Amino acid sequence: MDFTALSETIIKGNMDGAVKETQKALDAGSDPQQILDQGLIAAMDVVGEKFSQGTMFVPQMLRSAKTMQACVALLKPQFQAGTVSSKGKIIMGTVKGDLHDIGKNLVAMMLEGAGFTIVDLGVDVAPEAFVKAVADEAPQILGMSALLSTTMPSMKATIEALKQAGHRDKVKIMIGGAPVTSQFAKEIGADRYAPDAGSAVSEAKGVLAAG
Amino acid sequence: MRQFLSEADIEQIDETGRRILTTVGIRILDKQMLDRLRASGAQVEPADGRARLPDGWIDRQLASAPDRFTLFSRDGQNDLDLGSGQVYFGNGGRAFQILDLATGGFRPTMLRDVANTAALVEQLSHIRFYIIACQAYDLAPDAYHLNDFFHALLHTNKHVMGGVDNLEGARQMVELAEDVAGGNAPLRQRPFVSVMTNPISPLTVDGESIKILEFLTSRGIPVTFAPAPISGATAPATLAGTLAQLHAEALAGAALVQFMSPGTPVMYGSVPMTMDLRTMDLAVGSVETAMLNTCCVALAHRYRLPIYASAGLTDAKQPDIQAGFEKGVSNLLLGRAGADFVHLAAGMLDSGNSISYEQYVIDDEIIGMVERLLRGVTINAETLALECIERVGPGGNYVTEEHTVEHMFSEFFYPKLAVREQYDRWVGRGAPTPLIRAQSVVDEILDEHAHRLDPAAVKGLRSRFPRIVDV
Repeated sequence: MDFTALSETIIKGNMDGAVKETQKALDAGSDPQQILDQGLIAAMDVVGEKFSQGTMFVPQMLRSAKTMQACVALLKPQFQAGTVSSKGKIIMGTVKGDLHDIGKNLVAMMLEGAGFTIVDLGVDVAPEAFVKAVADEAPQILGMSALLSTTMPSMKATIEALKQAGHRDKVKIMIGGAPVTSQFAKEIGADRYAPDAGSAVSEAKGVLAAG
Repeated sequence: MRQFLSEADIEQIDETGRRILTTVGIRILDKQMLDRLRASGAQVEPADGRARLPDGWIDRQLASAPDRFTLFSRDGQNDLDLGSGQVYFGNGGRAFQILDLATGGFRPTMLRDVANTAALVEQLSHIRFYIIACQAYDLAPDAYHLNDFFHALLHTNKHVMGGVDNLEGARQMVELAEDVAGGNAPLRQRPFVSVMTNPISPLTVDGESIKILEFLTSRGIPVTFAPAPISGATAPATLAGTLAQLHAEALAGAALVQFMSPGTPVMYGSVPMTMDLRTMDLAVGSVETAMLNTCCVALAHRYRLPIYASAGLTDAKQPDIQAGFEKGVSNLLLGRAGADFVHLAAGMLDSGNSISYEQYVIDDEIIGMVERLLRGVTINAETLALECIERVGPGGNYVTEEHTVEHMFSEFFYPKLAVREQYDRWVGRGAPTPLIRAQSVVDEILDEHAHRLDPAAVKGLRSRFPRIVDV
């Protein structure tokens, strides 16, 4: 089955067109996993490439991600429980004291577009809440975001709480946000640092490739 | 924007300029022209060689000057509609040395620098016309303008302007351009070359300039006769006095052109400058130079003449902080003033003595910012975005809105050189400065650039003009 037309609609961020193409593929009897991998995720790879070349802007990239999500929603009922393959699970949230979530939401959208399963804990997430989610969900990655320099210490507090609870080694920690730097990430013992939504995807892929 | 000059101020300068023409007059070093001027009603004193030009005479000549005309590009992509209110920025010429970034010093300019700067202007979208950028020290004087214009036309389709040293140079240039155009009539109809000449401030016109202008206007080539007085040296030290004298010179220049050939497209010429009187160093990047130029726009437009103005000059010796702020201030002022044709705005350093390839690329970006600013703020139901604001509501975001994608390309200017990226990402890329980025743009353009005359045309030109040389 050829998914070129579907991919094109995703790359263009044409939501109506993409949903129609997805339905068409399902009606033609294509395997949902193939539609996901070869149609949707492959298109998002092209989008990521165009973005890093500077020929596509962030709003276009996110429009594509949003379009993809609409298609995934259509595919979901087709998968039997547990048969859909995910690139990995990521827990995300803005840290305690920080209510600024636009950046986190955009990163989540991009990661979802790249094939990850996202568990979004929302805003103002206390260290204990992060610890509980890690224990319950067993994600590969925990992502934390902060916009305010005053809430950055909450990142360190969360990492300490994970250590105390004995979960630090079970998960890789990725952080980001306007005031966050790679230097800060090193200082507090985070594993990965992503300055923007695009690099969040490549960092997350890097974590899984490293095993 | 608050203007420097009120209507009453402009009137006073204009009156003073006209008074200068009536009482002091213009010294013209061409006896035939003086005789013709006398016959036409000017007062000519053989003793001092001056022509005193009364108000009636000036007005009679200027009546035939077009208030709107086009300087054409060869491919129609960058025609300059002068007098339309549009502002066009271009480079400047007659520099004699070029910054060599490898050594950090200057070297004399060569014919290849004419070719390369024409290629840069062709590719840099905000630089709208090309002025022969520099002297070519490897060219023999006898076929000088044949070659500098040929290599300019070979590398850019944009409008090409140049100065000519003498009548023979003017002939070479026009013959070449007529050959490229397919004759005088098509060139006259769509002139893609033009020439600037200059009187000698204060208030003097040399004989060769008269001959050059007579020849060019007889062939329908658009011109400007642009005084370049320097406050405190070749003009009074007050800005008002410099403006009054320049205005007299510029009006006389435009009127003389119309006297020679009524209807010739002519720009009111103005290249006022200042000096740093502490040392008598030229100060073309001074704020006063920018102010003088801005005021000249009002004077030219009072006569409904498009202006040949200047901006973007700097006294800095390299593409540095001083170059940036001096160029930024004057480009912005001249753009806001509505100057029609702004030359010297790209590629120049060192008080106009030197050029730099990298500076062309940097100036293209500065001009791009000014052009964006001149487009202004578009107000309508779509741009006010009420519907979009209602849809997103409190706490949402606009990044993923269709409205954003629809407007983001036209609403914002996207610089290629300015460093905007997040610090870590910038460091990760090797912390490139705007100058380093400009260097790679220069390399890209010069590597990929192709000729703008097809090989058959070039072959024909070379056989008909055997004195054309290679770079």
